[in-house]
Amino acid sequence: MRSLVLLPEAVVVAGAIGMLFLGRPGVMRRGRRRYLPVAATLVALVALGIELWVGAVLSSFFSGALVQDRFALFAKAAVLLAAAAAIAVTDWSAEESQPVGLAMPLLAAFGVMVAASSGDLVGLWAGIELAGLAAVVLVATRRPDLGIRLLVTGAVGTALLLVGIAYVYATVGTADLAALRQLLQVESPTLPLALPVLLLFGGLAVRAGWAPYQFARVPVALGASPLGTGVVVGLVAMAAVTVGIKVTAVLTFRPELFTSGLLVLAAVAMVGGGAAALAARSPRARLVYLAVGQAGWLVAGLATDYRAGLGATLFLLGAFGVAATAGPAALGGVEGGEGGLAGLGSLRPARAAALAIAALSLAGAPPLAGFFGEFAVAASLAQSGQFALLALGLLGAVLSQAAALGTVRAAYFQSLPDEARRGAIPSWTRFSSAGAVGLCAVIVAYGVFASPIMGLADQGAKALGLR
Amino acid sequence: MILSLPAIAQATPSPASVPGANVFTSSLLMSLVVWVPVVVAVAIATMPNPRGRYDVLMKQIAFFTNLGLLFVLWVAYNQFATFLPTMQFEEKVTWLPAIGAVYHLGVDGTGMTMLIVSGLVGIASVLASWGVRERVRSYFCLLLLTQACISGAIVAHDMFVLLLFWGASVIPIALLVLGWGGARRESAAWRLVGYWGLGTGSLLVATMIVYAASGATSFDMDVLLKAGLAPRVQLAVAAALIVAAATRLPLFPFHGWARDVYADAPPGVALLVAGSASRLGAYLLIRGLIAADPDASRLLSPLLATLAVLTVVYGALAALRAVDLRAAGGYLALVPGGVTVFGLAALTPLSIAGSILSLFSGGLAAALIVGTCATLSERAQTRSVQLLRGLAPRMPVLSWLLVIAALGLIGVPLLASYPAEAMILFGSFKSQPAGSFAVAGALVLVAAVVAVVLHRILLGSPNPDAPAVSDAALGEAWYLGLIAGALLWVGLFPGGPKLPGTEQVVFDPGLLNVMSAGLTDIASAYAGPSPAGSP
Repeated sequence: MRSLVLLPEAVVVAGAIGMLFLGRPGVMRRGRRRYLPVAATLVALVALGIELWVGAVLSSFFSGALVQDRFALFAKAAVLLAAAAAIAVTDWSAEESQPVGLAMPLLAAFGVMVAASSGDLVGLWAGIELAGLAAVVLVATRRPDLGIRLLVTGAVGTALLLVGIAYVYATVGTADLAALRQLLQVESPTLPLALPVLLLFGGLAVRAGWAPYQFARVPVALGASPLGTGVVVGLVAMAAVTVGIKVTAVLTFRPELFTSGLLVLAAVAMVGGGAAALAARSPRARLVYLAVGQAGWLVAGLATDYRAGLGATLFLLGAFGVAATAGPAALGGVEGGEGGLAGLGSLRPARAAALAIAALSLAGAPPLAGFFGEFAVAASLAQSGQFALLALGLLGAVLSQAAALGTVRAAYFQSLPDEARRGAIPSWTRFSSAGAVGLCAVIVAYGVFASPIMGLADQGAKALGLR
Repeated sequence: MILSLPAIAQATPSPASVPGANVFTSSLLMSLVVWVPVVVAVAIATMPNPRGRYDVLMKQIAFFTNLGLLFVLWVAYNQFATFLPTMQFEEKVTWLPAIGAVYHLGVDGTGMTMLIVSGLVGIASVLASWGVRERVRSYFCLLLLTQACISGAIVAHDMFVLLLFWGASVIPIALLVLGWGGARRESAAWRLVGYWGLGTGSLLVATMIVYAASGATSFDMDVLLKAGLAPRVQLAVAAALIVAAATRLPLFPFHGWARDVYADAPPGVALLVAGSASRLGAYLLIRGLIAADPDASRLLSPLLATLAVLTVVYGALAALRAVDLRAAGGYLALVPGGVTVFGLAALTPLSIAGSILSLFSGGLAAALIVGTCATLSERAQTRSVQLLRGLAPRMPVLSWLLVIAALGLIGVPLLASYPAEAMILFGSFKSQPAGSFAVAGALVLVAAVVAVVLHRILLGSPNPDAPAVSDAALGEAWYLGLIAGALLWVGLFPGGPKLPGTEQVVFDPGLLNVMSAGLTDIASAYAGPSPAGSP
C-alpha cells in the first residue's frame, strides 16, 4: 500500500500532460475532443478515489521531504474534488484553449498536493509556486497582459515568501517543519524570528490575494476566462491556506509571532469582501468578492492557532475550494452586469442552481457547506475569546448573504430576455449541465455529511501535532 | 371564566385520556415535521413542468403536504402528555462531535403551541397563495422551505440546530418577497435581510458567548442554558437575545422591516411571517431568557416592558395615520407581539402562561389582520384607505373577517386572545403596575383605532371614484376562515371540549392543558417574591 501513496499525484500529473498532448491539433479527431473534459474529470475523480483508499497509510518519502498523514489526505482530497467539480462545470465555449484549460487546474491541484504533503519549507514554497504558475498560464491564454500582471504580483509574493523562509532558516538553522516546531517550542520569540514570519505570511497573503492584497488579484480574476478566475480565486488560495495551516502548526507555541497580523487580515477580508460583494454589479465580481470574504474566515481560523481552530479551517477550506473554484467556472460565458443572468433560472436551471448554491455557500448561508465551515470557525473564535473578530465576521456574513441574494434574484426573478437576447445565453453541453447538478450535490452533501468530514479535518489538525 | 384562569394554567395532574391518542406513534415525529417539507420542495424543484403544465399539481402537492403535516401535528398534539414537564418527542443524535453539535429535537408545551400555530398558518398560507401565477414551482418550493425552517427552529433543542434554521429562514422569505412582492418589494426584502441578519448575528454572538463560557464542549441547550455564568456575561447574553427577538417579533425600535414586508409581500408570505416566523422572537425569549436566566430577566424586565408598551402604542398610532390598508394591517400586526413580550416582562407565572397562549392567539390574530387586509385590498383593487368606503354590504364575508381580526387583536371574549390578554394583564398588575396600565390603555387606543379604521372603510356610502369590488373567493374565505375558526375554537374551548356532564375531553385535549406542560419549569423561578439584591 505504501508504494501507492503517491499514485494520486502521479495520476494527476500524467493526466495534465496527457490533456496537453491529446488536445494538440491533429492528435485526436475533433469529434472526440469533446470527451476530453469527461476524461479530465475522471482523472481527478480517480485520483481522489485512490487518495481516499490509500491515503490513510501514514508514510514519509525522500527523507521526510514528503509526508503522508491525515492532513495531507484531507487537503489532497479537497483540492481534487474542487478541481473535478470545476472541470466538470466549465463552459468550454468560453475558454480560449481546452487543453490548457484542462491541464492547468490539474497542475494547480498538484501544487496544492505537494504543499499538503510537504515536510519542509522548500516543499511548501514549491507547491504554492506550482499552483500560482498554473494560474498564470491559464490567465495568459485569454489576457497575456493580465498573465504578466499575475506573474509580477506572484513574484512579489514569492520574494517575500522566500526571504521569509531564508531568514527563518538562518535564524533557526533548519527548514524541516517537525524540527522547526521542536526548536520553536524552546526558543523564545525574538525580533529576528518575528520579521521573517511576518514576511512569510505577507508573501502568502499576496500569493492568495487575501485582503488587503486582493486589489492586486481581483482585476486579474475579472479579466481571466471563467475557469481561470476559478483557479486564481480558488485553487491558488487553497494552496496558500494549506501552506498557512502548516506554518501556523509549526508556530503554534509562539502565537504572538503571527496572531495579531492574521486577525487584522481576517477582519479586513471578512467585512471588506462582504461590502465589496454587495456593491458589485457583475455576477463574476460578486463571486470573487464573496470568495475574498470567505477567505477572511479561513485566515481567522488560522489565527486561533490550536487544533479545533485549524481543524475548522481545514473543513472550511474544502467548502471554500469547491465553491470558489467551480462557482466562477459555472458562470461560464455569461458576461456583463446582473442583467446577463436574466432568464438563466428558467432557460438553464442546472447552471442557475449551481451558480446560486456556490454563491450562497461562499456567503455562508445555511444550510450549505460554507455555513458549516464558518460556524465551526466561529466556534473556535469564541473558544479563543476573539468576540470582536466574530462580530465583524458576522457583519461580513450578513453583507455577503445580501449580495448572494442579489445574484439569486438576478438569475431567477429577472424577466426572461427577448428572443434576440436569448441567443446570448450560452448553451452548455450535457456533461457540463450534469457537472452543474453534481456541483450542487457536492456543496449540499458537504454540509449534510459534515460530521465525518469535520471528523477527518480534526484528525488532519491532530496530525500536525496540535492539541 | 376569568376567575378560573389561574387554575386552568396549571399542569394537568394526571394523564388525560383523549380519544385518538396513541393511534400512531413514531420516534421521528419531529423530524417528519421538519424534513417532509424539504423533501417535497426538492421534489417539486426537480419535477418536469413544461410550459407550466403542472402548476396546479404543484399547488396541490404543497397543499396536501401541509394537510398531512397538520394531521401529524394533530396526532402529536393529542399524544402530548400534558402532565409531563419534560421535553417530548425527543430525538437526540450526535451530529458534529468536533464542535459539540447534537441533532437534538423536542418540544415542551410552549413548543407544541408554536407548532400548532405554524401548522395552521402553513396551510392557510398555501391557500392564500393559490392565486400565484408566475414561477409557481419556485414559489411553492420556497414556501415549503420557509415552513421547514420555522418548524426546525421551533423544535430545535440544540443551539447549532436552532441557528441553522433561524438563519436559513431569512433566505427563502427574502426571495419570496423579492420575487413576488408588490411595488416596494426591493426595500422590503433588503430591510428584512438587514434586520433579521442583525438578529441572527446577535443570536450567534449570544450562543458563542455561552458556548465559550460553558467550556466549549456542547451546543446542546441542556448544557448551554444551564451553564453557570458570571453576572456580566449573563447580561451580555440577555441583551443579545433581546436584540435577536426584537428584530424578529418585531419590537420597537427594531420594526423597520415590518411595514414594508406586511404591506408588500404576497398575502401567503405576509401571513406566514406575521403568524409564525415572527413569533419565533417571543419563543426565543421564553426559551433562552425567561426559562434559562431568571437573574438577567429580572434585571432587564423594565427594558422589555418599555419596548413592549412602545410597540403597542406605536402600532396603534401608525395604523391610525396609515393611508394604505395593508400598511395599516401591518402596523396593527405589531400589537400582539408587544402584548406577548409584556407578559414575559411581567415575570409572574400567570403572565408567562398568558404570553405562551398569546404565541398562539397573537400569531393567529396578526396573521388574520395581515391576511384580511391583503385580500380585501386585492378584491377592492385599491389599497387606499381614502378610497375604500361602504364595503360591508358589498363584501360581507371579508368585512366580517376583518371585524373578527380586529376583535382578535383587542382580545374580546370568545376569542383565544381574550384569555391570553386577560392572563397577561392580571398577571402583570402586581409586578409591572405602570406597565400594565400602559398596555391596557394602549389596547384601548388600539380598539379606538380599529373602530375608526373599520368605520372608515366598512360603513357609509360607497365611494363613486373607487374601483369595483368583489367579495372573497372560496379559497380566500377558507384560509381566513380557518384562522378565524381556530381563534374562536380556542376561545370557546381553551381546556378542550368535554362530553356533557363529564370531564372526558373529546377530539382536542385543550390548548391550555398542552401549553401548560413545562410551564412549571419555565415559571417556577418567578413564583415567589423576587430575591433581594438580584443583579
